[in-house]
Amino acid sequence: MRALQFQRNLPRYAAAKVAGGVVPGFGARVGPLRLADVDEPALPGPGWQRIRPRLAGICGSDLSTIDGKSSRYFEPIVSFPFVPGHEIVADADAGRVVVEPVLGCLARGIEPLCSFCAAGLTGNCQNLALGQLEPGLQTGYCCDTGGGWSTAMVAHESQLHAVPDAMSDEAAVMVEPAACAVHAARRPGLDQPATVVVLGAGTVGLCTIAAVRRHLRPGTLIASAKHPEQRTLARELGADTVVEPGEVRRAVRRMSRSPMVGAGVGDGAEVVFDCVGSAASIDDALAIVRPRGQIVLVGMPGRVSVDLTGLWHKEISLVGAYAYGREAASPAAGGRAGERTFDLAFDLVADADLGRLVSAAYALDRYRDAIDHAANAGPRGAVKVVFDLRGEKNR
Amino acid sequence: MRIGVARFPLGKPNWPSSVPRPPVKRRTGVDYDTEWARTPAARLARAVIVDDVLRPALHVIASPTVHGADRLVGLEAPAIFVANHHSHLDTSVLLTSLPERFRHKAIVAAAADYFFTSRTKGAMSALTIGAIPMERTKVGRRSADLAAELLGDGWNLIMFPEGGRSPDGWGRAFRGGAAYLSLRCGRPVVPLYIEGTGRLWRRGKSWPKIAGKGEGVHLVFGAPMWPEEGEDARRLAARVEKAVAALADEWATDWWTARQRAAAGTTPALTGPSGGAWRRAWALDADASSRTGRRSWP
Amino acid sequence: MSRPGFVLEVDRSTPPILFHHGEGFRLEKLPPGSRVVYPAEPVAPLKDPDGAIRHALLNPVGDSQPLPSLLHAGMKLTIAMDNQAVPLPPMQKPDNRQRVIEIVLDMAAAAGVDDVELIVAHGLHRRQTEPELRHMLGDRIYDAFAPHGMLTQHDAEDHDNLVLVGRTEQGEHVELNKRAVTSDLLIYVNVNLVAMDGGHKSTMTGISSYRSLKHHHNVTGMQHSRSFMDPPNSELHNSTWRMGRLLAGAVKIFQIETTLNTDTFPSQFSFLQKREWEWSARDRASFLATSKSLEHVPPRIARSIFHGIKSPQRMTSVQAGEVEAVHALTLQNLHRQHLVPVEGQADVLTMGLPYLGPYNVNSILNPLLVMCLGLGYFFNLYRGKPLVRKGGVVIMSHPTRWEFHPVHHPSYIDFFEQVLAETTDPIEIEKKFEESFATDPWYIHLYRNSYAYHGVHAFYMWYWGAHALQHVGQVIIVGGEPRAVRRMGFKPASTLRDALEMAEDVVGRNPSITHIHNPPIFLADVT
Repeated sequence: MRALQFQRNLPRYAAAKVAGGVVPGFGARVGPLRLADVDEPALPGPGWQRIRPRLAGICGSDLSTIDGKSSRYFEPIVSFPFVPGHEIVADADAGRVVVEPVLGCLARGIEPLCSFCAAGLTGNCQNLALGQLEPGLQTGYCCDTGGGWSTAMVAHESQLHAVPDAMSDEAAVMVEPAACAVHAARRPGLDQPATVVVLGAGTVGLCTIAAVRRHLRPGTLIASAKHPEQRTLARELGADTVVEPGEVRRAVRRMSRSPMVGAGVGDGAEVVFDCVGSAASIDDALAIVRPRGQIVLVGMPGRVSVDLTGLWHKEISLVGAYAYGREAASPAAGGRAGERTFDLAFDLVADADLGRLVSAAYALDRYRDAIDHAANAGPRGAVKVVFDLRGEKNR
Repeated sequence: MRIGVARFPLGKPNWPSSVPRPPVKRRTGVDYDTEWARTPAARLARAVIVDDVLRPALHVIASPTVHGADRLVGLEAPAIFVANHHSHLDTSVLLTSLPERFRHKAIVAAAADYFFTSRTKGAMSALTIGAIPMERTKVGRRSADLAAELLGDGWNLIMFPEGGRSPDGWGRAFRGGAAYLSLRCGRPVVPLYIEGTGRLWRRGKSWPKIAGKGEGVHLVFGAPMWPEEGEDARRLAARVEKAVAALADEWATDWWTARQRAAAGTTPALTGPSGGAWRRAWALDADASSRTGRRSWP
Repeated sequence: MSRPGFVLEVDRSTPPILFHHGEGFRLEKLPPGSRVVYPAEPVAPLKDPDGAIRHALLNPVGDSQPLPSLLHAGMKLTIAMDNQAVPLPPMQKPDNRQRVIEIVLDMAAAAGVDDVELIVAHGLHRRQTEPELRHMLGDRIYDAFAPHGMLTQHDAEDHDNLVLVGRTEQGEHVELNKRAVTSDLLIYVNVNLVAMDGGHKSTMTGISSYRSLKHHHNVTGMQHSRSFMDPPNSELHNSTWRMGRLLAGAVKIFQIETTLNTDTFPSQFSFLQKREWEWSARDRASFLATSKSLEHVPPRIARSIFHGIKSPQRMTSVQAGEVEAVHALTLQNLHRQHLVPVEGQADVLTMGLPYLGPYNVNSILNPLLVMCLGLGYFFNLYRGKPLVRKGGVVIMSHPTRWEFHPVHHPSYIDFFEQVLAETTDPIEIEKKFEESFATDPWYIHLYRNSYAYHGVHAFYMWYWGAHALQHVGQVIIVGGEPRAVRRMGFKPASTLRDALEMAEDVVGRNPSITHIHNPPIFLADVT
């Protein structure tokens, strides 16, 4: 089968780190990623089946891996060589499916389940290096499962979600990012806060805007977006006001009609979703959140340097939002207890028409162009770039 | 018998006592001829002295602050500048604080019996400050003619009509010389109040002391005054004196209070309270202390 | 004898024409056949302004007694005055206001008046700093009144010190400064730079509140002010006149108006107000030296140089007495300096915008102010009909940097970033955003305690250009920062030639062009 494989190759990894630091996406040219014909992965155990990806998205975390920027935190929970790609819509035995990529206790054949998996909170499972699989936090980071950027891979039955016939592949490939967004929007456990801010309007940001609009139902939703297409989409997906990143503090100040205290807003947003994860965006978040408010880190932050005095002084909660599982009963949207995040995500994708966020599809052969496009999606007016595997010969 | 002096012909011959001496042409006092000091070369030298020596020096000694210079906007030279007089510093402070269009064509009426007692002293005065000799006691024909002629030639005149420096820190009644010249030449009188020079160098001290922070002198320019219909020198002089007193009041309180008091005729006189010398000195001190309190704003 | 203004027909031999361009200049060759409106030269000033002021106060016009007979001991006297928005640039000392007020106070002192308060009538403008007040009023007045709290700046958000005088037949609230309204005599001292100023507009904008201003500072009113420089045809003035008459029935007003000549720049910039073909060798040298050196200094420095300029404008008339009679005379005197007859409208109107408008003394002419200066003030410098035809193009020359003074114009930043990003339609802006800006407690705090324009003031900038936005087909800014220009819905062009070509797409080939030559300012009498 044809696959894009990421190998452990330190000199290439170092080269990618240098190149990716200069030109985003350039790590694909010099780094340890290569297109190869490899053996299809074997079925690891009962409950596993072989599936054939149709579309597979390129995620921000994939790009930082390719450019050698991802945190060393991941070292113990990935295994080489792996095939990236965890936003997958694929053909399974019983028809089209979307893969829920987290490799928790069930997929690893661990008995009894850890307390998190038992509660359905698979995203919080920490047995990511144990059981019948090699280490890997998700499909797409594990050498045993294969990944979406290939013509074939394996998946555990607990990972599969059937795609309704009415939903296109493009919409289905957005289910995984949408699930992250739904999970983030449910994270604060609030309903109808007055002001919510979403920083960043890439895929994560836009999905978060859509999810926040439906699951948190804020009075005012302010979004910051750098590029014109992002601004239009942000508004369409439910932001009331869309500003440029440098304008967000003033916009929040005005919406909240509160004073400015130094560079910060006196009584700002109840919740800020940081979908960028940089030091600057966390700084902004700390400046615009109200005392006792929450900052939800949706974008993967890595190692950042931030002044936390404001967090201490304003008694701000800084929480992370990773992946999915089951959502606690939320007062918002009349949510039932224990709904699977992916089920909510399917609704969100259909309701908000998130399929439109897929801007470009590439064959595996053109992976360099694809990654380049994805790394510069904002400036090039794109949001989500995917690999289209439906036309590959060896499927 | 003179000892040590060579005899004639090496020395000076004696004047035969039987031959009447011709009248001596006095060349000091009011008769000192200052015309040379108004030649272009002397003016240039004086401009250099005033701008490059006196101004910086006074800035250190007296750090003068000028108020009300905007009242001179639109005033054409020549004019007669009239001020109260406390100190030798007054002349230089005033001269160096005049707007440039007046400063370099200004002459100072200086006491003939003080500044022109010797030719050297006279020459120094004439060169450095453009002094012309003036009698203190009366308006002498010669000095008045000279001043009037110079005013006619476009020279600005600086006068201290109290006729000398204040002996005790209080002012004295104004004499009529400036008013007379104003009437005669049809030029305006600019009243001026100079504050603080007496503190730095009062009469009887041989050297000035240097102004500390906040002790600098202040000059308040008043609006130019033109003689009114049918006014004589005495009344004009009295009006000028009132104007200077009002400027003093303006400096001590504020402009609005001063205008109100001037209108009501209750402007404190420059001459101070009548009575014993100690009471005058006492009043002077009281005034000074209240003044520093007020200037502390804001 | 100063020469009147005139209209020059450009031919091939005409030298390039001077355009103001922010803190700099451009020399532009206009196509043959273009017309350039040259203002009149400065008329002769009053020889003895103080004497003229005294004469005016003693011989008031209209139904008014001489000032001294209106003053008596024990009375409550309030003197309100225009703020530093006029004249432009700020004039060399002494300012008209200082001259007038000193003489007024002299008379008040003579009458034994004790209770006097001076109010800077800055409406919703920013408060002035101490040096700015000192420049405007002189040290004597400042030192005499400010320390005792008797020199105040009008506060349109101090609701304890505002009073509703009444409502006009049209329902307009007349809400004004309490001290002014409850005085025995209100004296208003004005500097009439342009025909928009003065009359009842002085009090109705200067010492009123947002609630009151809303009745004439709105889009419909401004769209029906054609132009707001021509009071009889201006809705702005109709409304303020109605409201002013109501006030005049409630408090005794003694209005003192002064006009200035147009001697705008000091001698080192004399080339600015000369006709190009009359530039001497010295003018050419100083133009070259100035414009070349300005190219090489950072904008911040250039700005501080320009804002240091004090104008040698001088008083040409002073009249006092009853408001309307006074203002009629003022307009006559103003027209004597400003009116230039122009025949017919053009397809394209070009103008060079300077570094300074009424709202950025010692500050930055931000993009909103560029719009207001060009489409508000310059466009409206007409009587009769606009210099440009309906559907025509306005070309303005200004660097239009995306740059705001953070202290003076905080609400402008938000307006530019958040409101204009959404819409540039004045009606929609008014409907959707005005209220929230006007009542934002933070802007109110900054207006009252810092040196900020009121939150709603940014909207007035946009409304000031509403008539032009409705009238013209396109606005092009030459040399402007494209991002900022586009944000306002205008088109950026790098050269005048490009701009003219872009204009042809709107008005057709070989358009007729009229250029406003400034400084100084004028009023085109278009027939």
